[in-house]
Amino acid sequence: MKPALCLSTITMILLMTAMPVLADVARPKPSPESKIILHTSLQIVPDAKAYEARLQISADALKYFRAALNEVPANPSLAQRIAHSSTRTIIAGLLLFMSVSLGGVWLARSARSKPRHQKAAAAVLVGIAMLGAAAIITRGNAGPPSYYAWRNLPEALNQGRATQGGIDIEIVPEGSGMKLIVPLKNKQNGEE
Amino acid sequence: MFVASLLVCALTSALLASWLPLQFSIVTVFLFAGPHNWFELRYFLMRLPVRFGNSRNFFLTAFVGIALLTLTYVSLPLLYRFGFWTNEAWSMVIAVWNTLLLFWLGLLVWLRGQQKVGRNWSWVLPIVLALSSLNWMAPEFFSLAIVYIHPLVALWFLDRHLARTQPDWLQAYRRCLCLLPFLLAGMVWQIARTPALADDNGLFWRITQHAGAQLLPNVSTHLLVSVHVFLEMLHYGVWLLALPLVGPLMLSSRQSRKPEGDDAQPGIWSLRSVPLARHPRGFPKTVAAVLVFGLFVVGLLWFGFSVDYATTRDIYFTVAIAHVLAEAPFLMRML
Repeated sequence: MKPALCLSTITMILLMTAMPVLADVARPKPSPESKIILHTSLQIVPDAKAYEARLQISADALKYFRAALNEVPANPSLAQRIAHSSTRTIIAGLLLFMSVSLGGVWLARSARSKPRHQKAAAAVLVGIAMLGAAAIITRGNAGPPSYYAWRNLPEALNQGRATQGGIDIEIVPEGSGMKLIVPLKNKQNGEE
Repeated sequence: MFVASLLVCALTSALLASWLPLQFSIVTVFLFAGPHNWFELRYFLMRLPVRFGNSRNFFLTAFVGIALLTLTYVSLPLLYRFGFWTNEAWSMVIAVWNTLLLFWLGLLVWLRGQQKVGRNWSWVLPIVLALSSLNWMAPEFFSLAIVYIHPLVALWFLDRHLARTQPDWLQAYRRCLCLLPFLLAGMVWQIARTPALADDNGLFWRITQHAGAQLLPNVSTHLLVSVHVFLEMLHYGVWLLALPLVGPLMLSSRQSRKPEGDDAQPGIWSLRSVPLARHPRGFPKTVAAVLVFGLFVVGLLWFGFSVDYATTRDIYFTVAIAHVLAEAPFLMRML
């Protein structure tokens, strides 16, 4: 009995000391947040005659790049602004909830009083359903993920062929120069 | 003739607005902003009944709403200069003003529906709530939408006016309206890829900002300003040309009670077409004074534009919210 009591006492003391020790561990430093400012495309072209690597940016792309850069400090994207404004999101959600609720009540009441409204209500619902379906189909047909375009990059580089795919231009707070990260999935895992 | 005039006006406006958007924005606002407001004022006076009767609540709500919303809107730039609010708080202030505007419009629609026998316009409440919800998600975009939608309201006025005065022309007019999206699509197709306008001076910067350059950085400012100028030119065209010229001039058939043998239509300066002035229990002197004061303001506006165009333009577009708001109740009265 004594050893058991001793063991449990020691365990209790250990646990009690561990809690304040863990509580005193400094909070991890928040990692500097990177931000994607633009999605564009990148073509990698092997050139046997070139002596210097070159990153060519078209004048058109540069225009969008500058506009996106101008947007970085002051104008976050719409989604970001909504996500960062909880008050406005809550109010918007409440108003939408009330709209849908009252719309439903109005539809039910008007359908009872005037049957022809049922057709209008059905048309509205069908319209909304079609819009929803169109949105799903559009999203569904959004194309393969970005890494799919880069899947044959090693072979293409070996054979001297160009490879083109989408690329996000990302502003990172640390480091110098530029880094090109190409998503390449392991083909042995069955992904291509 | 009517259709040809409409098409020529629309095509010319689209071409000029696409060709030199900044220049035509300056010229059209200078020449037509004040006069079109005067014509609107005259049109609204013509539509105002001598006695409100059953419409008392409707007009009371309309006038109180116009006064309060205008006052708050005009005070917003002043408060912005004092820097009371952060950017987020400022967005919320704009969202609150837009919500008040939407609820005021909803209330007007509901009150108008009450006056119509056999009509139930309570559907407006869910719509107002849904629009308010969208507004709270992106208040600045909602305000920008008002800038682009307001010019189109004039086309609705013309539609209702034709329905009352020239119903035979209505179908042709509506067919012409169907061309408007194609014209806009053509402008977008032609200008979307053009480089941004040089907004290197204060005035040009103001014009591009008014058209939404800051909110839509990836859209060519050439396109934004062109579309806005095009819609504004249509707006001015309706108020300055179409509505006064479409017969019977400024006189609805129901309201005209001409003496026998008097076939001449009243001119634009005649107060006979304004029931508020013509009626035995009306207010001819007040109506005349309001119209003369309106002319004085138009002259003052031209003088201001001549002396300091940029500042006068800023002041005008702030105060002009009153005429944007006033259009709503008078349009609803015509529905």
